[in-house]
This record gives sequence, C-alpha cells and structure tokens, in this order.
Amino acid sequence: MSQGSGARILVVDDEPALVRAVETNLRKHDFRVERAATGEEALEAYSRHRPDLVLLDLGLPDLDGLQVIRSIRTHASTPIVVLSARGGEGDKVAALEQGADDYLTKPFGARELLARIRVALRHVAAPPHGTEPMVAAGDLVVDLEHRRVTLRGREVHLTPTEYDLLKIFVANPDKVLTDRMLVETVWGVAYRQQAHSLHVYVARLRKKLEADPQVPRYLLTEPGVGYRFVTESPSHIAE
Amino acid sequence: MTVQMFWRSVRARWLGYVAALAAVAVVSGFIGLVLREVNLANVSMLYLLAVLATAVAYGRGPAVFASIVAFLTFDWFFVDPIHHFTVSDPEEWVSLLFFLVTAIVTGQLAAGQRQRAREAQQREREAVVLYDVVRLVGERDLEDGLRAVAERLREELGLEGVAMEIAQTHGAVVRVAVGDGDALKALQAGTLAAAHVLNAGQSRSNRRALPGRWVRLVPPTPRLSDARTTLRDRVHLVPVRAEERRVGALLLAAAPESAQFDEAADRLLSAVAAQLGLAIERARLRTEANQAEILRRTDELRRALLNAVSHDLRTPLASIMASAGSLQQDDVVWTPEERQDFAHAIVDQAERLNRIVGNLLDLSRIEGGTLRPDKGWYDMAALVDEVLGRLRPQTAGHNVVTHVPDGLPAVSLDYVEIDQVLSNLVENASRYAPAGSEISVSAQRANGEVRVAVEDRGPGVPPAAVQHLFDPFYRVADGTPRPAGLGLGLAVAKGLVEAHGGRIWVENRPGGGARFTFSLPLSEGVENPVA
Repeated sequence: MSQGSGARILVVDDEPALVRAVETNLRKHDFRVERAATGEEALEAYSRHRPDLVLLDLGLPDLDGLQVIRSIRTHASTPIVVLSARGGEGDKVAALEQGADDYLTKPFGARELLARIRVALRHVAAPPHGTEPMVAAGDLVVDLEHRRVTLRGREVHLTPTEYDLLKIFVANPDKVLTDRMLVETVWGVAYRQQAHSLHVYVARLRKKLEADPQVPRYLLTEPGVGYRFVTESPSHIAE
Repeated sequence: MTVQMFWRSVRARWLGYVAALAAVAVVSGFIGLVLREVNLANVSMLYLLAVLATAVAYGRGPAVFASIVAFLTFDWFFVDPIHHFTVSDPEEWVSLLFFLVTAIVTGQLAAGQRQRAREAQQREREAVVLYDVVRLVGERDLEDGLRAVAERLREELGLEGVAMEIAQTHGAVVRVAVGDGDALKALQAGTLAAAHVLNAGQSRSNRRALPGRWVRLVPPTPRLSDARTTLRDRVHLVPVRAEERRVGALLLAAAPESAQFDEAADRLLSAVAAQLGLAIERARLRTEANQAEILRRTDELRRALLNAVSHDLRTPLASIMASAGSLQQDDVVWTPEERQDFAHAIVDQAERLNRIVGNLLDLSRIEGGTLRPDKGWYDMAALVDEVLGRLRPQTAGHNVVTHVPDGLPAVSLDYVEIDQVLSNLVENASRYAPAGSEISVSAQRANGEVRVAVEDRGPGVPPAAVQHLFDPFYRVADGTPRPAGLGLGLAVAKGLVEAHGGRIWVENRPGGGARFTFSLPLSEGVENPVA
C-alpha cells in the first residue's frame, strides 16, 4: 500500500479517539500525519509543516473552522477536506464557499475518507485548470479550445448557458460546487437567489450527457449543498 | 316584593313626613314666641327653613308636604281671623299663596340638588368599586382576585355573603365564597344548585332588564337544611358573560331586612358582572397567548435537544465507525498493536456513548423531578480515585494530579450520581484543556461541607457564558468558540448536586483555565439554602 506516497496530512479535530483512528489509517497508507486539536494549533502546525492536505473538523473548541479555512486560503490553495456532522448542510456550504475542497459527513468510514483524500490530492498534482484544452471523463470529452463536447465520439449540442455551466464543472473536477458558487459564476451575483434555474440547467445537461439522467454518473447531486462533477468511475468513490 | 319589604319602604317614607310635621311645629312655636314680642312682616318666610331642611334630608315628597302644612299652619294660627282657614284681608291671601309657591319651589330645588348629590356620590362609589374590581381581578391568581372582589362587593352592598363561580376555558370551575356563618355555608354548599341553574340557562327568562334575579339555593345535604330555610329567596344570581358565552355567576346573599337592590345596586352589579366577563376573557386570551409561547419554546427546545443529541452521540460514533471500519478493511494488514488500538477505541467510545445516554436519562429525571438520591456514606478519596481510573483513556493526554487530604470525613451521597458529576467535570476539563496541561482534582472540608474542585488550564469560561453554563443544551453563541459537548454534562452535574442539597459553580483561575467546584453538605438534613 503506497497510495499516500509520503504526502503530509494535517488532521484537525478535538476528538482524540477519532484523530487516533484516522492517523493509524493514514499512516498505514503511507501518509505522514500531523495533528492539531484546536484552530490555533492548526494554524501554527500549518505554517510549520506546510501539509499537502488539511482534514478539518468544523466544530473546534476555540476558533470556528471557517476562520481556519479563511486563514489558510489567504496565502495557500492547499486542499482542505472538511469534517462535519450530518444536518450541518449550512456549515458545509459555508465551508465550501470559504474555499474548502470537499467534505465528509460524520460518522464516515475509513474507505471513504481515503478515497476523498486521494481525489483531493490528485487534483493538486494535475496542471492548473484552464491550461488543458481537452478534458476527458469516461466517455465524455470536452474540447475547451473549440467549445466542442463529444460523448462516445459523437458531438453533443449544448446551448451557451449549458456549455458555460459544464465548463465550470469540468474546470473543477471531483470538487463539490455549491449552488451559489455555480449560479454566481454562470449567471452573475445578481442572480444569487435563482438556484431554480441552476437545477433546470443541470437537469438539461444530464439529459444530454448521462446514459440514465435519473442515476447520473458525471453530474452528482450533493444533497443540500450543490453538485459534483465526477471524473472517475463510480467504483473508486464507493461510499 | 314581599310584604316585609313593602313595610320597610313605607316606614322609611313615613319618617320623612313625620320629620316635616316636626319641623313645621318647631318653626310655628318659634313664630308664636316672636310674634308675642314684635310684629314682623313676612315672618312666614321662616317656614322656608323648615321646608329646606326637610327637602335636604328627606327629598321631594316630604318637602311638598312640609310646604302645605306650613301654609295651613300659618293661616290657622297667625292670619286673621285666627283659628279659621278663611282670610279676611285679600292682601294676606296673595302673600300666603306667594309663600306656598315659594315654599314648594324652594323645596323642589333643594330636593333636586339633594338627589343629584346623592347620585354623584353613588356613581363615585360605583366607580371606585369598579376600579377595585378591575384591579383585583387583574391579579395573577384568578381565585385570589375573585375572592378579593367578592369581599369588596360584600362590604359595598352590606351583604351577608357573596359567592362567585367562574368556568375557565379548560373546563375547570373556580368557586369562591365569602361571608358570615350560615350564609357562607349555604353559598358554599349551594353553588352546585346554582351551577345547575346556570347550566340550564334559566335566568335568560328574565322579563325585566335587571342584571340578576332571586333564586332559591338548594343545599345538597340535609345537614344544611337550616341554612336552606334562612336563605330561601334571599340569594340574588347575576350571570357573568364573556363574548356572549355564560362563563359564571355572582351569587349574593342578603340579610332578610335588606333583601332588595335599588337601581344603583343593580347598575353596579351589571357593571361588575360585565367587568368580570371582560377580565375573564382577557385572562383566557392571555392564557392562549402563553400557551402559544410555551409551544414555541418547546419547539425550540426540541430542536436544540435534537441538535445536541445528534452532535453528542455522533462524536463517539464517528470514532467507533472510523475504528471499526478500519478493522473491516480486508486490503490492509494491521499489526496486533493497531488492532488492539482500534478495539480499545471502540470500547472507550462505546462507554462514552453510554455515559451520554446516562446523562440524557438523568437530565430527564432531573427535569421531571423524579430524581431521588439513594444515599450512603462514602469516602470521597476512593470515589475520586475510581473516577480518574476509569477516565484514564480520556485524560491520557493530560497530567492529572489529585489533592485529597487524609482524614476527610465520609460524605452522605448517591455514589452513582456523584460519580457521574465528577466524571462529567473531569471529561469536560480534558476536552477543553490543551494536551499536556495539568488537570487537578482536589477535595477539602470547608464550612460544614466537602468541596470537590476540578481545575484545568483550558481557555476558561467567557464571562457572558458563566451564568448559562449549567443550563441544559446551553451553547455559546455562534461566532464565538463553541464547546464540543453541549453543556449537557454540566446541566446534569448541577441537577445531581442540587438533589444532594449541594451547590456547583465555576470560576476562571488566575493564570488561565477554569475551576469547577461542587459542594456536598456534611451533616444530613442540612439543605443548602442556595441550592
């Protein structure tokens, strides 16, 4: 097992038992682990160790988890995976909008944790978004240079808005995008409240791109949060 | 109206006429004396004094009577020919007639003035009584308020007894009765019969527009048959309505000689009944508003409870799932130490879950008031040792020290409950204090109690949070650091300590950190007044 290949992960949670279990798992998969129990410790450990990824619990005893995200984001784009309890959809959305890359709902399984960490790390290794003219995910190929979308080699016709929306998804593969982030990018800040249009356009994209729009493979709904464009085959991100 | 009442009113009126005669006689005697000495013109005007006095004291009828008697008396005794009603001088005729007219007009004016003054007084009294009624009914407790109103009415109308029955929205009937001996007994016993009259709605058949009517009370027990005879036809029933609904009645028991209400009393009674109706309607609306508020709060509390429970239960669950899930992975080979570690974590966290469930149950018993400490005599040092031993997995990252002096007296306590209190405090400290810092547990004897303190070097308690820290589900306001556990443990600790007659409090330590202290009384039966 060497998926971790020595990547350094900062685990921030005030729950020693959970941190220990996560740490044992990560070390077993060849990650290096730093730990912090409070927001202050997290920021200090971050500047000292410069981790490759931060696993961050939102309910910390001293600082709000969102503050930690903001502090990190002011000077770095290190992937941040947020840990949050179910029912805290508002917290997740806020965290994603502050710049978190993904979230895990407590309680979570070890397998899911590893999958999310791996995905988040892989995209750091990939070249910066927008430099790649062709993006492929499964049977889907998006040619950003020529604004062409093909599915299994056949061209798919998209309206300008549909294409703009797909472009954002393609530029942020495997990342959860909140409704608001999507609406603001495609329609503009003034349409912030119009999540309804977004749902309509996502449904149209699914109709054109998905084999079975009811069981999407590319455009997944993150309940209460937003959408995620999945590039890997589903078996890799099994829950 | 009974014969008795008739005679009573006749007697009251006769008094006025007799007084009129007397007044005229006195003035006549005086004139007789004066005329013997000097001859005065228009001396008859002295009679006006008698007429005025009669008018002021007894009103219109006696005043007219006095005028006529004075006219006749003067004619008979002092106008020529004396001892004859005939008058020889036509001028005398004119002045006599003039006197009669003046006397009657003066009497009328004075009597009218008297009447208005009496009415003004009456209305002022009514206003004062009504004001008192409104004030008294507005009191928090309806029963106390009604009792006070009943007393006030009894005093105002000079009654033997007053009872009130008011049906409340939820079906309960508030009954109050005040009065002396028999009347009170009869009213208390007789309210049932009155309630029957009320429910049957018989008083609606009132033909006259009077506020109430006379009813017969039928005491339910033969023992009160004496009261029954004395109170027959002497209880006046005034229905109380709120929003056209009959909500109750006033029952007034009068003494036999005054068993009649005049117009003013009737007016007062309808006003009082109307005010009572309004007050009851207001009380009903207030109750409804309160209930809506209670529902809203209950809803809020339920949401807070769900949040707290979901957070507190999920935290250990997350560790259990992460550990158990790790063990389940078949593509990873764990060392025996790692397996042991996961297994320990699962057991520890399951125990923690159990403690949380215990806290929840304790809290519901505390809130439900069903907590009964099962006390015995225990050594505090042993309890401290046992709790710290059990919580070693939680406190492993901290330096735990104890200061429990030898020779601390045994304390009367429920071992399980105080164990829970100390566990909650130590767990709380370990959750907040940074790893490696010192957690100190100490016990000492002070002022007839044993005090146990748990001190940490954590962030301390924000001043604004101090007074709410022991509230169940208290959560430090959003935007500020929030506690990992939601104060459930502290709320339970408070409830358990107080059930022992002790106190619990928190203070920030000089140099940082919090000190939680709880005290238990050393001598049985000395309940702490602060608790």
